[in-house]
Amino acid sequence: MTDCWNTDNGEAVFRTRDMVKNLRIKVRVEKVTSTAALSQHLQHQVLSQQQDGGAIELQTLTSQGHKGDNEEELVVGWQEKLFSQYEMELFENEAACQTPLERQYHLEVKALKKARGRRNRRIFTYTDHDRYTNSLPFNQLQYSSILLNTSKSWPTFLAERMTSLRQRGQDQQKIDCGVPKAKIINWEPTEEFVRNTHVVNNVMQTMHIMADLGPPEKLGQKENECLLVTIKTDGSGTVIVKPDFNKGREPYRIVTGEKKEVWRLTVENASTVMKPEQKDREQNIYRDLYTQHMDYLNSLVGQDFEMPPVGVLRYLLNGEIVSAKGFEYDNLYIHFTIELPTNWSGSPNQSLSGVTHTCRTKPMGKEDVAFFSHLFSCEASYTCDKESEGTLLQWPVLYFKVLSLDSWQRCRTEGYGYLLFPAIPGTVSALRRFFIGGSPELEDISYVRIPGTFKGERLSRFGFCSETTGNVTFNLHCMQQARSFVDANMLRKKRQRVLNQLGGFSQQGAVSSVQEAFQRARKKMQEAQENLPKDLISSTSQLQIELSSQLKTI
Amino acid sequence: MAELHIIGQIVGASGFPESSLFCKWGVHTGGAWRLLSGLKEGQTQVDIPQIGDMAYWSHPIDLHYATKGLQGWPKLHLQVWHQDSFGRSQMYGYGYCHVPSSPGHHRISCVTWRPLGSWQEQLAQMFIGGGPQLRSPDIIYSGADRYRLNTEAMGSVELELGIIMRHFDKYGVDG
Repeated sequence: MTDCWNTDNGEAVFRTRDMVKNLRIKVRVEKVTSTAALSQHLQHQVLSQQQDGGAIELQTLTSQGHKGDNEEELVVGWQEKLFSQYEMELFENEAACQTPLERQYHLEVKALKKARGRRNRRIFTYTDHDRYTNSLPFNQLQYSSILLNTSKSWPTFLAERMTSLRQRGQDQQKIDCGVPKAKIINWEPTEEFVRNTHVVNNVMQTMHIMADLGPPEKLGQKENECLLVTIKTDGSGTVIVKPDFNKGREPYRIVTGEKKEVWRLTVENASTVMKPEQKDREQNIYRDLYTQHMDYLNSLVGQDFEMPPVGVLRYLLNGEIVSAKGFEYDNLYIHFTIELPTNWSGSPNQSLSGVTHTCRTKPMGKEDVAFFSHLFSCEASYTCDKESEGTLLQWPVLYFKVLSLDSWQRCRTEGYGYLLFPAIPGTVSALRRFFIGGSPELEDISYVRIPGTFKGERLSRFGFCSETTGNVTFNLHCMQQARSFVDANMLRKKRQRVLNQLGGFSQQGAVSSVQEAFQRARKKMQEAQENLPKDLISSTSQLQIELSSQLKTI
Repeated sequence: MAELHIIGQIVGASGFPESSLFCKWGVHTGGAWRLLSGLKEGQTQVDIPQIGDMAYWSHPIDLHYATKGLQGWPKLHLQVWHQDSFGRSQMYGYGYCHVPSSPGHHRISCVTWRPLGSWQEQLAQMFIGGGPQLRSPDIIYSGADRYRLNTEAMGSVELELGIIMRHFDKYGVDG
């Protein structure tokens, strides 16, 4: 006669998209008494006897008595306030009501008394607003006994703060894109404010379903109250039920009072399920909303996108001259030009050269550095024609020279350098070491790299003196656009999708194809067998066995 | 129509003469770009670091752009200001940088410079602060008159930006 109990009292977390006010929970408490157990046992015996033999039907006698004293079943909605006997007596007295909430309870209790009376007897609830919700004694909340095996344990400072936080309500400010209009700094925080904001916590709405498990004559004693189920929810669809729904398993066990009576608790989810038509309608509404939003977005900008003409590669360079360091003199500025080789063309209204501002250096580490953060951008198009198919693609070059200008208007060249436009799109941070050619200046800046007049195979700079000077740092962001990339990308994606579809079934496909091959071979074998004379059958059957075993091992 | 998400933060600034700084920032785009959501300019709080040189703001940047073309790629402009103990604000630097054009996480260090006046103005600046400022930060983008400026190098601002590009490959853009 040992009942199995469900000892898993942990909380279960559910997520829902529905509103929490649709939640309904069916709670059932049942006392385990000796007569109840005995009568159940007798019932089983009698029933089994009846099934075995054809005895006379006997009516089982159960002690009718007050059935409602030992069991109660109730469906409770979210934040539905059900009064206990104690509360009925308390709120009947108008003088005891202080807060507006209690006065409202008083009116409700009076109305209940005039009507049929309350529908619950033992089971009652504490909603989020009740002051009792906060001050449930710690041993009833059962949290300390879960962690440690000592019976007496005092909650720590943090635990106290956390429990009082969990039952408090709403103080959430939703700050979206805009700046909050309210004061940002609270110069005089209250104790409650400190408690709410100093601990990271999701504010939850709580509800406790309790039961008064005293003897039936003495209902209404506060000591006999026992916590059955706690339901917590935050605003965003998380529902925590402690203990979890039984879902057909054994009921929970509650032991109460000095007499140590045992009660059985069963918790079930009794919320109404949404009908499929309603679900479909909701889905349709959401889908319409999303398509409307997409259409609105599209209408803002338009569907088209500026594309280069066919066969043209558009190259977009967003660059910045960041800094220059390690030069001899102060007050540096940079003069840069962009050179486009053959087959490249730039847009007509952009300038391919520029001058930065003059910057006085400051010491950073061992070197003096000047900051420019000068933005420039260049858009160039490359047309591929038949003649140049054999030669390598030449990328545009950025030539620059660093000059210094002092307060006496002396202008001095500090160095020359060049930078090749990156061939691979992306972001590049490039450092360029310089060289300066003595005191005369370079007439043709392209001499820095490969002179424009160069036609031979080997470049010789013999006789050209230079010394290394400083560094200039550039940040280059490069993007390339061409119509042919569209097809390549689309093809790659389509192939990937098709491969994914095939890949998922590839193993299955392999197995099934092998099986098909085996079936075909077998059929052929059978047909051949029928046509052969009888004496050869034995050898062929052996062959068949071997063949089938070989195929099976694949 | 292609979309660009810029999600990141202005981490902080370092290398300035004084450390109690705040930053005014903004994003400038061309005509083909449309801001779908997010704030495209703002101002951080004033940070006064107790230890060390770097002032930390961790100011969020969350922008969603839609565009019809590649021209006018977004650029970020920054102004770093110093607030002293009397509550006076002084310009400490202008900085400009492009928003990266390749998707992924980028850590950008944007350097800043401050315009310099004549030597009398510089002397006054040493004692009472102040100093010349640009009439409007946008004139930098035209680029033509920049060479007239006489500046000095200041510190640098650190940014972390995450770039997400959508539908760009459909139009053949390789970033």
